[in-house]
Amino acid sequence: MLHNVRDNYIISVKDHVSKFEEKSFRKLASNDFKSWPSPREEAWRLSRLGVLSRKEITPITPNFKKPISFVSKLNGSKIIRFVDGAFREDLSSKLPPGLSLNILGEEDSLRCFHKFKNSNLKDHPSTNASFSCTPSILKLTIEKDIKIKDLFEIIYEGGDDESSVHPALYIELKDNSSITIIERFNHLSSLIMPLQLVELKKNASINSLKIFNDNQQSYNLSANCTFLSEKSNYNSFSLIKGGLFTRSETHAYLKGEDCNLNLNGVYLSSKNQHHDLTTAIYHDVPNCTSKQIVRGVLGGKSTGVFQGKVRVAPDAQKTDGQQMSRAILLSENAIANAKPELEIYADDVICAHGATVGEIEDDQLFYLKSRGIPEKKAKKILITAFLRDIINESVEESIKNFVFEEAELALSDIISTEI
Amino acid sequence: MSLLEIKNAKLKLDDKDILKGLSLSVNSGEVHAIMGPNGSGKSTLSYMLAGRDGYDLESGEVFLEGQSLSDMEADERARSGLFLAFQYPVELPGVGGMSFLREAVNTRRKFLGEEELDHLAFVKEARKVASKMFVKDEMLKRAVNVGFSGGEKKRFEILQMAMLKPKVSILDETDSGLDVDALKIVSDGVNAQRNDENAIVVITHYQRLLDYIVPDFVHILSDGNIIKSGGPELALEVEKNGYAGLINAA
Repeated sequence: MLHNVRDNYIISVKDHVSKFEEKSFRKLASNDFKSWPSPREEAWRLSRLGVLSRKEITPITPNFKKPISFVSKLNGSKIIRFVDGAFREDLSSKLPPGLSLNILGEEDSLRCFHKFKNSNLKDHPSTNASFSCTPSILKLTIEKDIKIKDLFEIIYEGGDDESSVHPALYIELKDNSSITIIERFNHLSSLIMPLQLVELKKNASINSLKIFNDNQQSYNLSANCTFLSEKSNYNSFSLIKGGLFTRSETHAYLKGEDCNLNLNGVYLSSKNQHHDLTTAIYHDVPNCTSKQIVRGVLGGKSTGVFQGKVRVAPDAQKTDGQQMSRAILLSENAIANAKPELEIYADDVICAHGATVGEIEDDQLFYLKSRGIPEKKAKKILITAFLRDIINESVEESIKNFVFEEAELALSDIISTEI
Repeated sequence: MSLLEIKNAKLKLDDKDILKGLSLSVNSGEVHAIMGPNGSGKSTLSYMLAGRDGYDLESGEVFLEGQSLSDMEADERARSGLFLAFQYPVELPGVGGMSFLREAVNTRRKFLGEEELDHLAFVKEARKVASKMFVKDEMLKRAVNVGFSGGEKKRFEILQMAMLKPKVSILDETDSGLDVDALKIVSDGVNAQRNDENAIVVITHYQRLLDYIVPDFVHILSDGNIIKSGGPELALEVEKNGYAGLINAA
């Protein structure tokens, strides 16, 4: 840990919680917020936060009258809105039966806090800063046997360049329930520290899509902690395109047999953006599958990072864990880092990983050119296909085109600059 | 004037001489077969003609309808009417077959000063040609060559040839990986496109393909040069005696 003599932000977090009692989860969290991760820590070596300790940022006090600026383009979706990190019931849709939203009280918040502190996200800066400063933890519950057909959008916005925002969401899917949730991050804040706890009970299933598109000066340090019970299914896709620095970190604990996890993602990076997909998958029990496919397209002086850890406990026999990352560099000054880590303590498992970083494949380019298609056009076709391919594989049919259009907006910017 | 004229082509790969002064003249309406053992330079010849990066001639020249290819990139050569059917067609994950075909065909049409086909007109045309090649609609909806069997890949190559209507087609080992039935379908597809305006160069190991696509001329390629030329009977001689006898005689 870096022990800063004086870190303005950490001090302002402590000021922010000074009025709470010592045993409050906020106080406990702020007591643990002692420093930013050091670049000497392996998890943060490729994504450094040093600059944050020199910034003049304070935790935001939410303005509950602030109007929204982000309008959803998805027809007929149900919307849950966070503005300045606070849930805004007045701006959110009425919920269908079987689904409820509650603001957690002190005791439940404390329980939620401990779940994070018992995970390997315990030292993540967002864990401590956001449990300290979140206006409240919102819990979304999907009751037993309820299968939600409507698309759900959670839209996060607000903040300003002097503030940090701390939305916190706890999603619980009870037995046999299912839902599709699209989360969109569109903050103006300098620092965004979203927390998310997901609990999937027996046979529950969630399709989760996250689109990170914050302001171009923003730092987004998203932390997600997910627990999967028996026969549950977590299918997640992250599209990272915005912000100056966006790191989406997910830790998934496979606690029940026969569960299935997909943690796929794409980052599209240009100028001096830094994008990071970090995952840790803990296979604690036998007969589970996990799969990760990550792709990146980079231009300008941007940096992409994929860190994926898969840990297979001694008892977790018959685990099937796959991991594949591929980045295409369109500029000589762009950098892509891929760091797969497999820790396998069981002997009867299938685990594979692969990572490539490079340019567009020569033989594919030649094939298109040999059909008369000019080089620039051929490159566009191949990069677009590179994305379409993973979106097709990762995303539910009904939102494929939507996701592809969202990706294409960022991609066309990179292509028009680099090709 | 020949449709395709190769004059004294020399080419090195990794400092090794691969083509050593090869010359060949192909006129419209003709089918030429180039046969040769492994390592004789057959695939290098096809990549050189198609303009693959790294396969530039050290000396010599190639002309397509009298126009030198030396300063033309692969895409320009293709638009000008040169077509290479790949020995190993490349998989393009995420690139839909129909949109790929349409892009290629419209690029060529534009080059020829013809009107580009709109989506509906194109789909209609593509289906018509595809059905003749026993290429199912479903295959055109899939990503190009992804998950295709060996036969499907080759049929898709010849479908592209039929849609692009090239002046000169180079078929690089089109028979490899095909069973007899697939070979017949592919050959029928090629034969349907033979006319007085175009030319086809068939590159192959085996005589087998030449039972179906009967050539006007057969050339034996060995060690980077054509060592013998003749009619279809030359292919039968190869089949009977192997390459060794011919090469030793030369």
